Parts: sequence; C-alpha cells; structure tokens
Amino acid sequence: MKRIISLAVNGVEHELAVEPRRTLLELLREDLSLTGTKKGCGIGDCGGCTVLLDGVPAFSCLTLAVQAEGCSVETVEGLAGNGRLSSLQRAFVEDGAIQCGFCTPGMLMTATELLRANPHPDEREIRLAISGNLCRCTGYQKIVEAIRHAAEADHE
Amino acid sequence: MTLPRFDVLVPETVEQACSLLAEHGGGARVLAGGTDLLVDLKRPIVQERLIEAGGGDPGRFTTLGDGEPGAIDPWGSGDPPPDVLISLHKLAGLKRIEVLDDGRLRVGALATAREIQRVPEIRDRWTALAEGADSLGSPLVRARGTIGGNICNARPAADITVPAICLGAQLELQSPDGSRTLPGEQFILAPGVTVIEPAEILTAVTFPALSARTGSAYYKLGQRKALEISVVGVAVYVELAGDDTVQAACVTLGAVGPTPLAARSAAEVLAGGKPTGELLARAARAAAADATPIDDHRGTAEYRRLMVEMLTRRTLELAVERAGGRS
Ligand SMILES: Cc1cc2nc3c(=O)[nH]c(=O)nc-3n(C[C@H](O)[C@H](O)[C@H](O)COP(=O)(O)OP(=O)(O)OC[C@H]3O[C@@H](n4cnc5c(N)ncnc54)[C@H](O)[C@@H]3O)c2cc1C
Ligand code: FES
Ligand code: FES
Repeated sequence: MKRIISLAVNGVEHELAVEPRRTLLELLREDLSLTGTKKGCGIGDCGGCTVLLDGVPAFSCLTLAVQAEGCSVETVEGLAGNGRLSSLQRAFVEDGAIQCGFCTPGMLMTATELLRANPHPDEREIRLAISGNLCRCTGYQKIVEAIRHAAEADHE
Repeated sequence: MTLPRFDVLVPETVEQACSLLAEHGGGARVLAGGTDLLVDLKRPIVQERLIEAGGGDPGRFTTLGDGEPGAIDPWGSGDPPPDVLISLHKLAGLKRIEVLDDGRLRVGALATAREIQRVPEIRDRWTALAEGADSLGSPLVRARGTIGGNICNARPAADITVPAICLGAQLELQSPDGSRTLPGEQFILAPGVTVIEPAEILTAVTFPALSARTGSAYYKLGQRKALEISVVGVAVYVELAGDDTVQAACVTLGAVGPTPLAARSAAEVLAGGKPTGELLARAARAAAADATPIDDHRGTAEYRRLMVEMLTRRTLELAVERAGGRS
C-alpha cells in the first residue's frame, strides 16, 4: 500500500504517494523528474546517487523514500541559484573536473557539504571526503584541484 | 525497482517497535541505516539482471559477508526475505551518545559511524572505537551505517564491532518482556547469527569507564583505503598499573574466524608483564596462534596469520604509548 510522505527537495515542499519499497533515488528521478542524481551501482559503492539529507551526504539508492519523510533533501539541481552556477560548479567546469559527467552530481554534493563544514580543506581532507565517490574518467586530480580552487575563490 | 515488495512500519517509540516486531514474528526485520539490509534485499534482483545481461561476476555481490563460511546465502540463516521492515529512523533517542556520570560511555544503537567519529571524548579515550568508525566503508557509508546495524549484522570483519567487543561493550536489548544487558563477546554466534530474540531491539552499547592509564587502537588491513572489507582487523586495549606493568589487556581479531575473536592467550601473555618490545612481540605471536583464518580471494590463511602477528605488535605499541607507557 502506498504511503503519503512530505519532504522538501531543494526548498520546495512535496507531498507524494510512494510505495514503501521505493528508494529516495527513484522518487527523485522518476516521480520528480530530477534526473541530475545518478544511479550507478545501486548498492552504496559508487556515490553517484549522493544527495544531502538534512545537510548530511547520503546515498539515495540505499535510502527509502519513507525514511526521508519530513527531511530536507538537496540535489545537484539545487546548487545553481538564479541560473548562476555555484562557485564549486564553476570550478568543476573551469578546471576540467568533468569528463563524462556521470560522477559529477554526486561529487558536487559531497564537496558542497565538505566546504560547508570545512571551508579550507587540505588535499588529504579533500581526498578523504570524496573517497566514497568513484570517477572512472578524471583520475581525481582535476576534481581535487577544482574543490581546492572553489575553497579559495569563496574566500578571496 | 530493485527492491522486493515489503511494507515499512515506522514506530514512534522503542516499545512500539518491539511490539510491532512481536506482532509480525519472523516476517519482520529491523531497519536502521539500511547499508547492510537494503543491499541484502537488492542482491538477488541485481544479480539476476546481471546474469540476464550476459555479464557480471556472480561472486560480486557477496562482498559484505565474504571471507567466511555461509556468506553466499544472503540471509545467513536461510530465512526468507522479510515482508515487513520496522524502520527505527523516528527514534531520535537511540542516536544519543553520552559519557555517563559514572564515567561509562553510552552510545545509542542508531548512532552512525560519522557521529561516533566526531565525538572528541571517544577519539581521546575510547580510541579504538573511533578508529573502527573511521574504517567503515567510505564517508557515505559512515554517514548512514549505525553501530547497532554493524553489531546485529554479526560479520566477523565488522569494523565497529571488533573494537567495541575489545573495549568491553555491553549491549542493552529491549523486548516486549523487558530489557537485558549482555556482554558484546557473547552476542555473536556465527556469521550473521546472534543471540537476539525475534522481538528484541538493540537500544544502546555501553562501555566501561576507563582509568587514566589506558590506551586502545584498531587497525584495519585492506587492499585499499576506502570501500574495502578487511583482510584482518586488530583491536587492542591496554591498561597500565602504577608500576608500569600491564594491569589488564584485551586483543580482539576481525576476519580471522567465523566471529570476532578474542585472542585470549595474547591477553594472558600480557597480564602482569612489563610492556617491553619483547613482551609485545610474544603477545603478538600468541594472537597469531589464536587466530583461525581461512583462505579466500582477499588473502590466504597464512598471510592473514602473519598479518595478525605484525598488526597486533604494532597496535599494542600504539596502545601502550597512548596509555602513557613506553614499549
Ligand atoms: C559500500 C559499503 C561498504 C561497507 N563497508 C563496510 C566496512 O568497511 N566495514 C564494515 O564493518 N561494514 C561495512 N559495510 C556494512 C555496513 O555498512 C555496516 O555493517 C553498518 O554498520 C550497518 O549498519 P546499518 O545501520 O546500515 O544496518 P542495517 O542494514 O539497517 O541493519 C543491519 C542488520 O542489523 C539489524 N539491526 C540494525 N539495527 C538494529 C537494532 N538496533 N536492533 C536490532 N537489530 C538491528 C537489521 O535488522 C539487519 O539485520 C559496508 C556497506 C556498504 C554498502
Ligand atoms: S548508485 Fe548509490 S552508491 Fe552507487
Ligand atoms: S567524469 Fe566520468 S565518471 Fe567522473
């Protein structure tokens, strides 16, 4: 039997009827058409589906939609305000931290949370923070640089 | 959809959670962070699709319970998949972490590894527990995975469970009939099998108060730094007496037996001795003899035994140093 749940996604309140077995990832992509959040492995290994759940990174593939009841969810679609990319997003573009782009939404969400908690991470802290987000293209170097540049840009 | 059909019930109190479990009998499972349970539930479906697609390594989805007999059966005990999940996410009280007035540490069953990692008193004094939480999976796994789930899932390599047992964890269990407290080392019987009763919930894990001169450490050996199940895990605890001899010690090993394993002869070697390099080396050899590792794709039994010896020596040195002694 479906459940009615309410949750805020990128600041917008939604009330939805969901099957108990529906994952938060399926809710975002299929019910709300927010396809920025990616499905990779589906079992917690890749981080492609990372969103912020009440400000904490969470893999949406292993989170049931009903567990997000009453929560605030942030996805990659919420990062740009008024059509302007966040400084982190800009740094990803400018530094060539995006190749195929599949890992990018998850990386951005993880790095967004990192920079909120720790505005001046060193390289080790950056690498540790993204160690649950896999990238098959970039070799990570450009991603690490982009996160560092974004941190610097925010504090110039 | 990659999950089978089930209903989810969301209790508002622990009492409600227990009575829901009692009501639904064997068909219900407790859901905490879901990082073990939901993967187990997805596994048969993901596996089937991989095979349909003509690819995929059928061993791929055995990662979590790997390296132990019975790991291939996603249910461990052969139970059918649940038709009801009892999700604990509304039980905010079970997230609480506190140092009690009598000096004990009490960690709610729903505390995540990420929450445990960030408590300064735990880092400082129950260090092996913080280092176990540091070792869990990846930052994303640590943000969802709970101490209660790690313990109740009962895997021999479980990175929070091994140091928790080493530090003398007492498990608080609640059921419709009341509550009981059980030493952590008596809880796990076999891979995936515990003494928990069908309507029981683990509510908290408490750790004994520590005297000033104690030190502990946990080291997880894997093939990479993140997203890895340990090849060997070693947790040690050392308490020094006023004359610098070892007053009490405990060595607990992960991934070298069907359950987290107490290296009792290592503790015996240490008791009452001066923690010299020679004594620690002897204790490490005793730990290697206590281990009962098997061969698998992560490492051979022989390699694991060698690593137990080396890592026990190193973690003991670290723990003695942390206890304020020299080795
Ligand atoms: C990508 C990935 C990497 C991982 N890496 C590691 C690793 O490196 N080391 C490691 O040890 N583990 C690892 N795990 C396994 C898992 O994350 C941990 O065991 C975690 O601590 C489980 O907690 P949970 O809250 O998610 O448990 P859940 O999946 O919610 O529950 C696990 C089991 O415990 C039962 N349970 C949970 N809470 C309670 C309770 N309070 N009372 C009674 N029963 C309860 C559930 O019914 C279920 O059977 C990994 C998992 C993934 C997906
Ligand atoms: S899709 Fe969720 S972690 Fe890979
Ligand atoms: S850019 Fe392709 S996976 Fe990261």
